[in-house]
Formats: sequence, structure tokens, C-alpha cells
Amino acid sequence: MSTSRSSEDVLLIVNHVRHKKTDGVLYLMGERMGWMVESKNSFSLSHMYSDIKSQKISPDSKDKVQLQVVMHDGSAKTFHFTNPKGRDVGIKDRDGIKELLQQLLPKFRSKISSELEEKNRLLQESPELFQLYKDLVVSGVITAEEFWESRADQLSNIGKNEGSKQSVGVSAAFLADIKPQTDGCNGLKYNLTADVIESIFRTYPMVRKKHAENVPHEMTESEFWTRFFQSHYFHRDRTVLSSKDVFSDCAKNDDREIKDEVTRTVNDPLLDMLKMTDSNSGDGFGGSSDERKLSTNQTNLTMIRRFNHHSTMVLKACESNRTTKPQDATDGASGTSDNGPKRSNGAVATVTNGDTDTSSTSSDMFKEPAAKRAKIREKLAYEDLEGRTHSKNVNLRLHKTDGYLHGPRPVVLSKYMTSDDAVSASNSVSQKISDWAPELSNVLRGSAALGVLGELSPGGSLMYGTSHQQLHNMVAVDVQSELKKQYTALQELLRHFWSCFPASSKFLEEKVCRMKSTLERFQVTKLIPFKESLKQHHYTIDLVGHLEELLSTAYAKFDTWQARKMAKRS
Amino acid sequence: MTESSVSSQLIIIVDTNPVWWGQADTGESGQNQMSLAQCLECLMVFSNSHLMMSHRNKLAVIAAHTDKSIFLYPKKDQGGTSAINISEEADQGDGKYELFGLVNNQIKNQARELVINGGSSLLYPDTVLAGALAMALCYIHRSEKEVGPGEQLSSRVLIIKGSEDNPEQYMNLMNAVFTAQKQNIVVDACVLDNDSGLLQQACDITGGIYLKIPQVSGLLQYLLWIFLPDPTERHKLTLPPKAQVDYRAACFCHRNLIDIGYQSSIPSFVA
Repeated sequence: MSTSRSSEDVLLIVNHVRHKKTDGVLYLMGERMGWMVESKNSFSLSHMYSDIKSQKISPDSKDKVQLQVVMHDGSAKTFHFTNPKGRDVGIKDRDGIKELLQQLLPKFRSKISSELEEKNRLLQESPELFQLYKDLVVSGVITAEEFWESRADQLSNIGKNEGSKQSVGVSAAFLADIKPQTDGCNGLKYNLTADVIESIFRTYPMVRKKHAENVPHEMTESEFWTRFFQSHYFHRDRTVLSSKDVFSDCAKNDDREIKDEVTRTVNDPLLDMLKMTDSNSGDGFGGSSDERKLSTNQTNLTMIRRFNHHSTMVLKACESNRTTKPQDATDGASGTSDNGPKRSNGAVATVTNGDTDTSSTSSDMFKEPAAKRAKIREKLAYEDLEGRTHSKNVNLRLHKTDGYLHGPRPVVLSKYMTSDDAVSASNSVSQKISDWAPELSNVLRGSAALGVLGELSPGGSLMYGTSHQQLHNMVAVDVQSELKKQYTALQELLRHFWSCFPASSKFLEEKVCRMKSTLERFQVTKLIPFKESLKQHHYTIDLVGHLEELLSTAYAKFDTWQARKMAKRS
Repeated sequence: MTESSVSSQLIIIVDTNPVWWGQADTGESGQNQMSLAQCLECLMVFSNSHLMMSHRNKLAVIAAHTDKSIFLYPKKDQGGTSAINISEEADQGDGKYELFGLVNNQIKNQARELVINGGSSLLYPDTVLAGALAMALCYIHRSEKEVGPGEQLSSRVLIIKGSEDNPEQYMNLMNAVFTAQKQNIVVDACVLDNDSGLLQQACDITGGIYLKIPQVSGLLQYLLWIFLPDPTERHKLTLPPKAQVDYRAACFCHRNLIDIGYQSSIPSFVA
């Protein structure tokens, strides 16, 4: 973005300004600032003042003399002032730019409304919205106003959210931090930043009011602040009030506020402010020396009052944003024991005053324990440390609890039975039992047993699902003969194996080990191939299962024998 | 061959409901020609067979009555008097194995006492099975703690039942069954008359055998054939195949079995 400079009126030109290690010239013009590389004819940097959010300068302690311009979109440009005549000249150049910018920026700042900023942010935060904006507004389907109208609630929501953010408190030392600099000719220079001004406004609402009243039409911004500091220092020792001063009203208002503050006694049951005096018992050998002190320390007293007032205002500035409910409550509480007017003429309370107060408002005494307890609880109990006692449990409310414990109904409906039937049945049983002599040799008749065996044999009524076929019909003849061969071979090997136990001699021990390896070889070379070939016939019965079981039993025996032998040796 | 140190403990729960036995005895349904005494005789033979399988085998018999369950064997107060009992029985049983005599006599006496004196004023046609099963589980738990070092006890439960299911005991029985499953205790059921949905589920859950016997008179043969072998040996035998078990839940309000239930997030609520 490079435009010719000729069309605008140039307010200030500063040479020897470096940007990104390139020497150039900085121009301040009517509506924008620009920077161009030496020996070029167009701006390589150009920023509208309305785009600039703030400017920052490097501290004097730093070697480089720099000025940073922060944009609204968060980016920043840094300019380095390198006047060959020396650092001081560089500083002077920088200050010239700074002061001119200081005057120019506020003029353009108002142009960017907070609303626009917000919309911009909203678009940046939400890519979908941005896409929508591009599609609709940029392409000219609807106007921007229509677009935002439909999202008014979103905008207002965001405004609310920001409002509810925690506000930063005011530093108590903000006035002292301003640190005026002497300019050498009996004057002082104040550097006021936007933060300091905001702090002053928040702490002293009266000043804000005055500022609003006077600044645009009666005096300039700097004049106002010059007067403010003059008067501020003037009425530090607030003995004489000049009616010409713009801030005389403020002083009066301050006085009134001090009085209000004094009358609003601190109603803390755990603190007895009335007992506190400025004197100690050593002064005047126990006699009252208040009179003398008051007269001599008048100016100091005013100072202390001013300081206290300042602290009060700082604290109030923080409180002002909070909900007013708790304040109302304390106000109401303090109202009941309002004994202020009697002490309003002096900052030092006398003990006698306090005494009369407590006696006159004796009804407060009854409230005290409760108030104390409330205060202590307030200090001790933390909301976020409390256990979540009341979790929302849904209670199961059962109408018929016994219904849950019942099982399904019997499949066969129970036979109807009168109580007479039951009793007679029971009686007959007990009668039979009473003359019962067990005859165990005659329990089961042979025919019944045979019948049952028929039911339980394969193909019987209870053995449904099992096949009636005989095994020798199911398995092919060659497989049968193969299986028979396997069995004979394995039985022979196993017979040798088992005959070695107990392995009492060296020879037998060797034979056992040999037989074990032979068995293993048999399993690998014969049994496993046989098993594979059986798989092709798809038999439902595991024909080699028993052979494998025989082998595993032999292996287990061998393992235990070997383990025992090893244990014996070691 | 070293002898295995695993002993098998069998807990028999026998249904002694006098109402059902009385009805069965009168022979209204025609096929149940068996009295409680005959059933108990079968039971005695069966328990003797179980004890005969190995001298390590252990036995307990629990009677499930209409309103209570008691141990038929071993007797509660057996503690110090067992030695005397055995010698007494030995006197009577001429040359019989003392343990058999003791078991048979105790079962006989206890059952007689239960049926004659134990009958309360109220008679129900159904049996309290859950309590008996819970007693069996407790007994197993205790005896498993009492075994000596190096010994192992594998326990199972056999339920011989004739009367109807008691739907009120559904929850209790199922809880006991799940406990058994957790303790690796097999629950077998031999049902004499009414098919029992609850016991079907119980056996299926614990891996036992459920059998409704077609001929009550052949009870002993069924017991010896099917229920005598230990669960560890059963897979080597050709036994009746397991039937499909109906696990359908009952509707909460009408107690009818339903095909589709809606489970709420609160457990065991089906509507």
C-alpha cells in the first residue's frame, strides 16, 4: 500500500528513523503517518491515525531511542530514532513525534466506535460468521446494517459479558507514580497516560464531572490537567480556598465526603475504633494533651485526612462496580448505631463521647453477639471450600416394593387346593413317616432302573440331540484302523514309560528320559499329522482327545519326577 | 499313582414339603407313585454311594420345608457326641459301615421329627428353597475354611425338589445362585414334578445339570447315573444335553414373562 505524499499536508518530517534495520524518513500527515525508505519516493509504511490504538516509547534508561505504534488489530510497528548528531537529538526527534501523535490520536480515536471494534472481534473469533459476512455483505446481498441487526442479541451479549468482567482495581499510589520531571526552568512536566487519567476519574468522580463540563469548550485537555495539578497541589494544604479555582467545588465536595465517611462509623463488632486515640498515656503524664496537639498539628492533621480520603476513594473506586446489595446491608446496620454527628467536628474521638454513645444505644448490646458471630462466620467460611452436600439425587419411589422381589409366575398354574386338602395331605405324610422303617435294599426295582437306563442311553427320551448312530458306523474303516494303530503304538511306549517308575536305579532314570523324548517324537511325527488328517473328515467327535490326554498325563508325571530329583540334588 | 488330595463335598437339599408329598402320595396325578419316605430312602442310598466313592468325600443333607430349612445330616449338636453316636450306630448295624449307619439313622430321625413336629399351623404348597440354598452355601464356606493344609474341597449342591416355585423368593434365590457362581459351586437340580424356571436358571448359571425326571419311581437310578459323578468328570460322560433356558424377565406389574423388557438406569427394574 503505497501512496504519494504530495496530496496531503505534512505536519512533521523526521529524518534518520529506522524501521526493521532500514534507514528512512517518518512523516506525520493530516490523517495518517507514513515511513519511507531513503532514496525512495513512496511510503513503504502507511497507517491511518484511526487505526492506531496507542503509542509507546522506550524508557530513558534504554540505549536505543524507540517509539512503538500499536494498532487496533494488535500488530505493532517500532521506529528507531538514530540521529547522527547524538542520542539527545534522537530523543528530541522522538518526543516531537510523540507529542504530535498525542494530540492527533484522540481526534481520530472517536471515529472507531467501540461497537465497530466489537463487530470486528466477533468476526475474527467466529470463522463461520466471517464466512457468512463475506458471502452476504461483501458480495452485496444484504447491507452490513441488516447483517448486524439480525445478530443484535449476539452483540449485546458480548457487551454484557465484557461488562461483567472483573475490573482492575486502582493502585493506591497512582498519583505518586506520575513522577513529575523538572524541565529545568522552574516548571514541572507530567506524563499522563490514559490509565492514569482513568484512575483519576474513577477515584475522583468530581474531577470527571469537571472534565466533562470544561474540557471541550472552556479549555484544552492539557490546560485542564495543568490546572488540576496546580490546584491539587494548591489544596494539599487546604487552608485557603480560592473561589476562582475550577476545583474549589471538588475541594468542598471532598470535605463533605470526609465528613460523611467519618459519620459512617465502622460497625465491626470485633473492632473498637472508639477506643483508639492519637495520644499515648505517657504524654502529659496521664493528663489530657489533646488540646495542644490539635492546635499544633493542624496541617499534619489535614494531610492525614487527605491521605485517608484518598485511600477511601481508591477503595470506593473498586467497590463501585459491585452489586450494591451488601453495601445496603452494611449501611442499614450502621444506620442503627449512627452516633456520628456528635463527633463530626473533630477527627479525634474522645473516650467520653464513645461512652455516652454506647449507653444511649444500649439496644445494640443485644445485637452484638449475633453480629459478632455473623462477622466471624463471614471471615471463616469460604463458599468454595464447602462440601457439596445437596447433590440432586433422584429418589426412586416405588409403589409396590414387593413387586420387585417377586419372580415370574410359575409356568404351570398352581393347582387349586383347599386348606382341608393341605391338612389331610400333611397328615398322611406325617402318619407314613411315623411308622417308616427304611428298607434300603429294596429301593429300586430292576425294571424301573432298566427303563431309566433306556431313557438315559444315547437315543433315549432324555438324550435328544445325541445321535443314535454307533461310532463304528460314523468313522471310515481306514481311519478306524489308523486310530487303532496309533493306540497300540502309544500304549506300548507308555507301558515302557510307566514301568520305569519308581526310578530307583541310574539305568531306569536314563530310560525315563529316553522314553520321554520318544513320546515327544511320537507326538510330533505321528499324532499331530493324524490329527491334521482327521480334520479333513469333519468328525464331530474328538477322536485323538484321549490319546493327547494320555500323553499329557505322562508328561506331568515326568515333570514332577524331574522337579523332585532336582530339588533332592540341590 | 499318588492319590489326589481333592475331596468332594456334596450338599443335598431335599424338598420335604408335606403338602406336596401328601398329594403326590395320594396319586391324584397318577404318575407320582412315591412317598416322602421312599424318596428319603433313595436319598440314603445315593448318599451312601457318594461316601463310598472315596473315603474323603463329605456329605450334608438339608431339608427345605414349607417355612424353614434344617440340617438332616450332620446334626447340629453333633460336636462332641459324634464318637459316641458312631459307636452306638455300630452296635445296631451288624457289620455295616459305621458312617452309613450314622448317616441313615440321622436322616431318618431328623426327617421324622421335622415332619411330625415341625409342621406349623400354616401350610403352603411351595417350599422355601432360597433359605436352604443359602444355608448350604454357608456350610460350604465354613467347611472350606476348616479343611486341613494341603487339602482341597470341591463342593456342589444337589436340589431334589417336587413342589412349585415360590415366586416371592425369586430375588433371594437368584442372589444365592449368583453367590454360588462366584464361589465356583455347581448347583444341580433334580425335579420330580413341576418344571421350575428358577432352578433351570440356577443350574445354567452355575454350570450344573437340570433334570426333570420322567419316572419318579426310578429316582435312584437317575441320581446314580447323572448326579453321582463330580462335575470334573462329567464332560467325559454322555449325559443328557443342556436345554435352552428361558431367561425372559417377568413384567413388573403382571408377573407375566415378556419378550422385550425396558431396563431403567436403576438396576433390576424391568417394565
